[in-house]
Amino acid sequence: MITTRAARRRGLPQGLATLLLLAPALGVVLVLFGGGVVMGVLASLGYQPFLPGRDLSLDAYRGLLDDVEVRRSLVLTFRIALLSTLVSAVLAVGAALLLRGTRRGRRAALLVFQLNLPVPHLVGAAAMLLLLGQSGLVSRLLFAVGLVDAPAAAPVLTNDAVGWAIMAEYVWKEVPFIGVVVLAALSGGVSDLEDAARSLGAGAWSRFRFVVLPHITPAVVSTSIIVFAFTFGSYEVPLLLGQPFPATLPVVAYQAYSDTDLTARPRAMAIAVLITFLVVLVVLAYSVLTERVLRPAERRRVTGT
Amino acid sequence: MRSRALVLAGTVALALSACGGQDDTTTAEAPSPSAAATGGFEAVLAEAKGQTVNWYMYGGDDRLNAYVNGYVKTELAKAGVTLNQVKITDTAEAVNKVLGEKAAGKDADGSVDLIWINGENFATLKQADAVECGYLEDLPSTENVDLTKPGIATDFGLETEGCEVPWQQATSALVYDSTALDDADVASVESLFAWAKDNPGKLTYAAPPDFNGSMAVRTFFFDTAGGTDQFLGEFDQAKYDAAAPKLFERLNAVEPSLWRGGKTYPAAQTEVETLFANGEVDAYLTYGSSGIAALVDKGTLPKTTRSAVFQDGNIGNYSFTTIPSNAAHKAGAKVLANLLLSPAAALENAGPDGAGFTSAIDIAKLPADQRAQYEALGASPYQVPAAELAANTLPEVVSDYVTQLEKDWKANVLQQ
Amino acid sequence: MSVLAGPAVPVVSPPRGRASRSWSAAVRAVSLPLLLAGLVLPFLPLLLWAVAERYPYPALTPTVTSSRPLRLLADPTSEVLTGLVNSVSIAVAVAIIAALIGLSAGRALGLHQFRGKRLVQFLLLAPVIVPGLAVTLGIQVFFIRYGLSDTRRGVVLVHLLAAVPYVSLVMSSVYANLDLRLEDQARTLGAGPVQVFLRITLPAVAPGLAVAGLFAFLISWGEYVLTLLVGGGAVKTLPLLLYSYLGSTDTPVAAALGLALVVPPVLLLAVTSRLLSGEGTPLAGFGRT
Repeated sequence: MITTRAARRRGLPQGLATLLLLAPALGVVLVLFGGGVVMGVLASLGYQPFLPGRDLSLDAYRGLLDDVEVRRSLVLTFRIALLSTLVSAVLAVGAALLLRGTRRGRRAALLVFQLNLPVPHLVGAAAMLLLLGQSGLVSRLLFAVGLVDAPAAAPVLTNDAVGWAIMAEYVWKEVPFIGVVVLAALSGGVSDLEDAARSLGAGAWSRFRFVVLPHITPAVVSTSIIVFAFTFGSYEVPLLLGQPFPATLPVVAYQAYSDTDLTARPRAMAIAVLITFLVVLVVLAYSVLTERVLRPAERRRVTGT
Repeated sequence: MRSRALVLAGTVALALSACGGQDDTTTAEAPSPSAAATGGFEAVLAEAKGQTVNWYMYGGDDRLNAYVNGYVKTELAKAGVTLNQVKITDTAEAVNKVLGEKAAGKDADGSVDLIWINGENFATLKQADAVECGYLEDLPSTENVDLTKPGIATDFGLETEGCEVPWQQATSALVYDSTALDDADVASVESLFAWAKDNPGKLTYAAPPDFNGSMAVRTFFFDTAGGTDQFLGEFDQAKYDAAAPKLFERLNAVEPSLWRGGKTYPAAQTEVETLFANGEVDAYLTYGSSGIAALVDKGTLPKTTRSAVFQDGNIGNYSFTTIPSNAAHKAGAKVLANLLLSPAAALENAGPDGAGFTSAIDIAKLPADQRAQYEALGASPYQVPAAELAANTLPEVVSDYVTQLEKDWKANVLQQ
Repeated sequence: MSVLAGPAVPVVSPPRGRASRSWSAAVRAVSLPLLLAGLVLPFLPLLLWAVAERYPYPALTPTVTSSRPLRLLADPTSEVLTGLVNSVSIAVAVAIIAALIGLSAGRALGLHQFRGKRLVQFLLLAPVIVPGLAVTLGIQVFFIRYGLSDTRRGVVLVHLLAAVPYVSLVMSSVYANLDLRLEDQARTLGAGPVQVFLRITLPAVAPGLAVAGLFAFLISWGEYVLTLLVGGGAVKTLPLLLYSYLGSTDTPVAAALGLALVVPPVLLLAVTSRLLSGEGTPLAGFGRT
């Protein structure tokens, strides 16, 4: 797979060639992303690059977790992100297995399954608003069958305390995302292994647990990480479908940033730093945990063949 | 093969147009010295020719947007100035933008040329020295306004000192469905709350700091405190502390009778209007009651919609347009501000194609023929006549009260 | 296999035993339609509202229909056209630039071995994990100062930040699957490096490049809060317009705009997948760590 002959033949040292190739991508990431993170931390300490110096301090962090708005927001954001990721992953695996076993109408089913992949989240949120709102389509259907008699009697799914519509939007969008990747992972000859297992007498559950699951675990893990990070940091969906209080952390951060009182800016940046810190923490923890679980599973899979 | 190359070339061209070249939002002109120095509207007009004015204004009123992008844009083009309306959901966004640019050291070539503004937003900008001042004498339209009038010389208690141009008058009213509420229910805040207790879930107000939501809370505050007289003048912490707890007690008491049991409040006034249009609430307070007739005619609102003002008075204020000190197109902005205040624009607005707001112009100062045109405009059964609206208007208080009320409402009512 | 048709997954034959076969068939017969219906359902209210003039509660379909919302989309005074031009030009710029960046970085990531490779991979993936909003809040003050805010240039830059990780990932797996012997053969036949690249490498990675570009386009097309922050409300893209219409009482136009936001990406996906039909989908590389 790897060859350095090409670079050497051209006379460019390998390291330089690599550096040049990586320069544009690394440039974008280091300047914009790195700069943003560093500047965010500095701003949370009170630093303002174009105004006369103010003393740096940790004041913005001191009351942060005592602030009821931030506390409630933290709980809400975590809950929504964790639940959405979990439900999406489970449903996606089920959907992938379902689609894999479909014989008739397979192409059509796969087409419908991937239909909402290019749909922007904002449109999904708008759709959920019109579907699940108290005067939405679901409510009207319930009225038609006589279960509700007025919008006020309809279940409260949008702009509510739990975040039902928010989670529905995430699940609706992420199940196909995870599902497609799982399907790709299932295309690599797993069925042959399953046939072998079946011929040896393994039941459906055993086949799933010892053949299918290890094969799809990397795919599920990597996409779940992405889904969790996304749902934690998403802004427009909870803005449209959530309540003014408690709001999710990105919404709180943006509102604090938009405060016309610029002395409140460090607090806004502190919340942004908090978001970054929490997401990285959770993702790192998740990766470490799954590495520990995956490695024995990998060994089992390899020796199993 | 050739067609593919054409497509490729086309997309590259399209992409390049986004990367470099002209942006619609700013022109390449260098900032010019203030017209006030050279004096006279003629000079302002000459300087404004060819400029594009970026006007940041609240964009939730469809009729107003149609008026701005139709009549105003056309009239402004006659002066050689292009209008670019930038819709925002809250004036604080524009304020934040200007302040953000100042914090980034951008003292000229700013992206905001004109802001529709009043109250605490204007106070924030003025106190940060971020507004252009001293050009009102150059604008002919200001002759039709009584610049010494309390609501115009002071904006929410703060001296305007020629740093903003008057535009609209707004008075609040209660819009309600007459099949659900009768005259007795809408007579006062007390009767309204009593009606809410008997009809839970049918009343709500937008969460401050939404402009209309804030007004609702202020209306309840003045009603609880027995009027605005004691709050006129400088901000008095003692007077505020004496009256505020009673307000929040009252609001928390009525909360279970509100929409969604008061567990949440609509984030913006447009959500409140949608709830009313859907029949999910039956009454709401608004500054925009003069737009109701058009909505009923369109069929968005039922024919049983009515408006009323409380016996004890309703809040009213003037709103203005102001030019940030770092604006890139100050001359063009001045021409626009002058146009908005002109009698012709006000008449167009009051007509069938207009936006239905009340101009800040003092009708008594107009020449006789224009005054006659005004008085000839008809009234509507769905809204309170302008004269009655203005009759019992309570003046606005210093914006410090507004900001304090918004903060405390969040802590005492929303977060409970 | 085209992207839309999905990866080449063989059908798994049903388990033995009549009882388990019919049980599993029953489960499949119920859950598959349910799954597909659930995926399609949210589009329904958008479609209904987009043609509505009056749609009061509790009507299931609009009581009065009208083509006004859809006609408004083509109306030059309604700023939808401006939004469309902005959205398309920005997304295409992002797609092209990101694809080029990915083309370059992907080669290094997929083919070269070097010290610190894991670190580079981690760095390039970081913008996927760390929410873009948090990062952009930090860098906003520089965008304002250096004249990048309120411009399409600035918006393209901040969208690039979101897109670069994805294109790098896709292109690295494309390059990893590249058969370098073709390049070597061309070189031994006397082709210069440019010729090798244009005649051998580029056509080989072109399908993956198209997918990477598509990803970048989709990311930019649907972006809201980053455009709002850097564009400052002055650069109006379709998502920003949609949000402001959703906040107004004009639901039919909002719904029509929502549908308009969906159509170009779906079309692009269909076109790209047709161009790619017959090639293996690089998405397969996505799942392997």
